[in-house]
Amino acid sequence: MNFGGMFGGAGASGVSAQQSSAQLMMAEQEIEMVTDLYNRVSDSCHAKCIPPTYHESDLNKGESVCLDRCVAKFFETNKKIGAKLQEISQQNQATQQPGVGLFG
Amino acid sequence: MDFSQLNDADRQRMQQMLERNQMRDFMRMYSSLVQRCFDSCVDDFTSKALSTKEDGCLMRCTEKFMKHSERVGQRFAELNTALMEEQSAQGQK
Repeated sequence: MNFGGMFGGAGASGVSAQQSSAQLMMAEQEIEMVTDLYNRVSDSCHAKCIPPTYHESDLNKGESVCLDRCVAKFFETNKKIGAKLQEISQQNQATQQPGVGLFG
Repeated sequence: MDFSQLNDADRQRMQQMLERNQMRDFMRMYSSLVQRCFDSCVDDFTSKALSTKEDGCLMRCTEKFMKHSERVGQRFAELNTALMEEQSAQGQK
């Protein structure tokens, strides 16, 4: 499993009915994952950047900049942790510890 | 999204799934927004009606959330596109 990126596209052309159904399932899964990621980003960044005192209905400059940075940092975090997990699982595989390689 | 590779039955299934998801996501967003704005704005229980202050806060909270969503959505789309491109480039190596 590739953690650095979870949304590998299903890219093929000229497909049979079976391949088409498999592609459909992959597309569905991908949509679910992206939606879930979006919801998590949105919730986290709202909690971190928008103070719960609603004096105004506009995003002010600070909040806007905070949101931009927050989304970027969330993606970077996602990537960092994915790479780290992969590194750990490779180390475990290299040292031949059966059962420890959680993400093989 | 590109459905041109799918046959008719699958394309229809995909369409139905997208509509179901859209409905589900909207209901989810709606209920979480109600909770969020209620928690932030409503804390005076000396009356059973929303006060003018609470009402104003709820409206601002909702408007602000929509603007938040729009902005996060834009940044998200940009970064997610970049991520996918990076991956498909890796896959071709």
